[in-house]
Amino acid sequence: MKTNDRKTVETISCEQAIKLVFNYIDDELRGKRRGELEHHLETCRHCFDRVEFEKLLKSRLRQLKVGGNSKNLRSRIDALLGQF
Amino acid sequence: MQLTYHQREELKHLVLPLLDDLERFALSLCRREDTAEELVAATIASACESFNRLRDTSKIKQWLFRILSNKFLTQCREQSRYKEVALTDATNDTDSHFSFFEEVSQPFLLWYGNPERELISHLLDEDIRNALDSLPIDFRVAVVLCDVEGLPYDEIAGILDIPLGTVRSRIARGRSLLQKRLWHHAKDLGLIKTKRRQ
Repeated sequence: MKTNDRKTVETISCEQAIKLVFNYIDDELRGKRRGELEHHLETCRHCFDRVEFEKLLKSRLRQLKVGGNSKNLRSRIDALLGQF
Repeated sequence: MQLTYHQREELKHLVLPLLDDLERFALSLCRREDTAEELVAATIASACESFNRLRDTSKIKQWLFRILSNKFLTQCREQSRYKEVALTDATNDTDSHFSFFEEVSQPFLLWYGNPERELISHLLDEDIRNALDSLPIDFRVAVVLCDVEGLPYDEIAGILDIPLGTVRSRIARGRSLLQKRLWHHAKDLGLIKTKRRQ
C-alpha cells in the first residue's frame, strides 16, 4: 500500500525543497507539500543533510532558553500586584 | 486602574505561573538580568492597567508576550535615536539567502562525515548568543520567539501583530543573517580553512 501511496507524491526539485526547509523544521508544513518534501528527503542526501543541519542549529538556539525562577522578581511582582 | 480584589486575585492566578516564561523571554531578548527584570515588571504593571481589556484569559501568555515585546521594541527604538541600533532590514539580498550549510558542506564527503554539523557543534553557546544579539531587532525578536521560545508562526503573528508572511520572512532573513555571522566567527576562529566565498 505504501508503495502505491508514494506513486501519487509529486517529485520536487532541490530548489523547491530548500524553500520549504524552514517551514518543515518549524513544523509548519502540512499535507501535500509536507509529503512532497519528505519524499524528496528520502532520495536526496544533500537536502536531507541541509534539514539535519537546520534542525541542529535550531536546537542550539533552543538551548539558549535559560534563566527564570528569580525569587527577587517573584517578590517584586507580588508587591506590584498589590499596588493595583 | 484600580483592580477589585477578585480581579487582582484572578490576575495573580494567571500571571504568577507564567513569570518564569516571561523572565526567560525577556532574558533572551535583552540578556542582562536587571534589564530583563525591569521589562517583566513593566509588563505586569501594564497588564494590571489594561486587564479589563483582556477578553480571553486563555490567551494570557500571548497577551503578556505581546506587551513585553512591544515594550522591548519601544525601548530599542528610543535607544536608536541616540545610538546605532539596527531595527530592521539593513541586510542586502546576499545576507537574506546566506546558508552556513551551503558554504561548508562538502558533497564528496557525503558518506563519511558532516563538517557543517561538526562546526556548529564546536561553537559555544556564547558564540551563538552573540550572533543572535547582533541581529536587527525585528529579526531577533522573531527568531527568539520561533527558535528559543518554540512558538508556532500564528502565535508569533499574534504577539507581534504582523501577517503570517511577514513572520516567515523575518524568521528566514534572521536565520540567514545569523548563519552568516556564525560563519564569519567560525572563520575568525580558524575553524573554516577554505575560503569559498566572501
